[in-house]
Amino acid sequence: MSTIMAAPPKPLPRTGNYRWVSLWGVPIRVMHWAAALSIVVLAVTGLYIGKPYFMTSGEASSHFLMGWMRFLHFTAAGVVVMTAVVRVYWLFAGNRYERWRALVPVSRKNLRNLLRQARAYVLVRPEEAPPYLGHNPLQQMSYTMLYAIAAAQVVTGFALYGQYNSAGIFYRAFNWIGPLLGGIPNVRFIHHEITWVFAIYLPIHVYLSIRADVLEHNSTISSIVSGGRMVPADAKFQDD
Amino acid sequence: MYSPTSHPWTEGETLGHHLEQRGVSRRDFVEYCGGLCAVLGLGNLAVPRMARALQTLKRPSVIWIQLQECTGCVESVIRTSEPTIGNLILDLVSLDYSHTLMAAAGHQAEDALQSAMKQNAGKYLLVVTGSVPLADGGVYLTIGGRTAETILKEAAAGAAAVVAVGACAHWGSVQAARPNPTGAVGVSAIIKDKPVINIAGCPPIADVITATVVHFLTFGRMPATDGDGRPLFAYGARIHDQCSRRANFDAGQFVTSFDDDAARQGWCLYHVGCKGPATFSPCPIFQWNDATSWPIGAGHPCLGCTERHFWDTMTPFYGRLPDIGGFGVERSADIIGAALAVGATAGVAAHAVATGIHEARRRRSLPIVEAPGGGSSAAPPSSPPSVKE
Ligand code: SF4
Repeated sequence: MSTIMAAPPKPLPRTGNYRWVSLWGVPIRVMHWAAALSIVVLAVTGLYIGKPYFMTSGEASSHFLMGWMRFLHFTAAGVVVMTAVVRVYWLFAGNRYERWRALVPVSRKNLRNLLRQARAYVLVRPEEAPPYLGHNPLQQMSYTMLYAIAAAQVVTGFALYGQYNSAGIFYRAFNWIGPLLGGIPNVRFIHHEITWVFAIYLPIHVYLSIRADVLEHNSTISSIVSGGRMVPADAKFQDD
Repeated sequence: MYSPTSHPWTEGETLGHHLEQRGVSRRDFVEYCGGLCAVLGLGNLAVPRMARALQTLKRPSVIWIQLQECTGCVESVIRTSEPTIGNLILDLVSLDYSHTLMAAAGHQAEDALQSAMKQNAGKYLLVVTGSVPLADGGVYLTIGGRTAETILKEAAAGAAAVVAVGACAHWGSVQAARPNPTGAVGVSAIIKDKPVINIAGCPPIADVITATVVHFLTFGRMPATDGDGRPLFAYGARIHDQCSRRANFDAGQFVTSFDDDAARQGWCLYHVGCKGPATFSPCPIFQWNDATSWPIGAGHPCLGCTERHFWDTMTPFYGRLPDIGGFGVERSADIIGAALAVGATAGVAAHAVATGIHEARRRRSLPIVEAPGGGSSAAPPSSPPSVKE
């Protein structure tokens, strides 16, 4: 176990035997960046819709600021829903780093590693973190939670969107949300607050990715572009 | 135009004859029916049918009971500068028993209610305004010594259909707001075996009440309703989607305080808490007081009074988001959210510094590692790295 532990946290040697590990298929990579872009668009336009922070002047007929904000918001929402469809499909069709099992750290080993990973983060001891090729248990847990929160955001979003036409399909399909949460204003409140969850998530996600890449030279960041990682041929991983 | 007292209803008279006596010309009457058909979203073909049905109507069998309420709904119906034909119809149908309008009092009034219910058993339309207090055995509202629940159940038993007029009869309104001390509920919470149609609003628009009643008198059934029992002809669209200030909304032009220039220019009231985007009501089209104006038209944000539990969910009335905890935290929810996002970034930065210090220390103490390929991790960049397959 200790030899396994020792492998990646130190910078990888500059030369030696390496092997290519394929992690993220094309659907996952496309989905990741499409979702990232749309979520930024959604947050910016959504915060404007929630509280219009700048205004136009003059004749109403010569502007369409809120109109464009809403258009962008709904379009980006559509993109996010498409990425969610891809992700759900890939939960069953992907490789073992992408499948649903890789998102639920329930085995005894994973739970132990989850605590070790959390300890390594909190005590700033990166060399004690259990090495993973794909997502470590803490990532698995936080991504699963993020998916759940995103799902709540999509559902509440549709409940609000459906209001424009009470005979429409969105209104019919999502009309149960309002009464469930105690009225449309509450739905709006929750939809609004979840935006901040994403705003808080973003710097942490970016930081931890950059940190892993810098500390371990493990090409974490490029893996979401290229689809895989170069690791020393003899390095052992918890999820190899 | 039409004096309410010039010609009392006489036994056996048809509505057509009665209106004629009161100076309503045939032309006016058909015009009125045309207007109502438009309100109800019915085609031109329905006009003659409605005119015929109303004209030959013998005894408009409608009973109107008033429970836990402020009488605002009745006021909304009768407060018009010129009584319309619709008002006349409502006057007539509510004369039997209506606390505000009837001349009788005491036992006489209760007897009138009993005999009206008996005569038209199974056929009359029951109109209810006001909620029903259920707490403590219903002691918070009794009429003639009987609780509101008893009165409502009895009146509904012989009714063909029930019209719950106003937010109180719909779901309880202000007396049902948290903490609802009298246990007030709407009609549909008690009457389960009959169609209950909800004319939502605090108060609702008189035309919607009239149109619903006339629809029933004409076709013998209620108009189509939405999931909350509200007639679709009136509550099928949001205020926001029919609003005269919508152009300003789309343009991004908002009132930020009630005395600013934007308010004077009539810009959108979204910023000052307008609930039009979550409120289904025909206010912008029908308007109030003979279509003189309506809240948003007069510069006040919509309060959302046609929606269930609006006293709890649509408050604060002058803010965008609900006051969920009741102690004002949510008003600063954005500040907290933004602070947390900044805090996360700061925390991340602090963690990065800690990691940097740790790594610097650790690497200094590490022995120089010989890589299998022969190079060294401390090798100068001049020796090119060779990656073997
Ligand atoms: S005033 Fe209210 S209902 Fe009218 S456009 Fe603005 S937000 Fe919508």
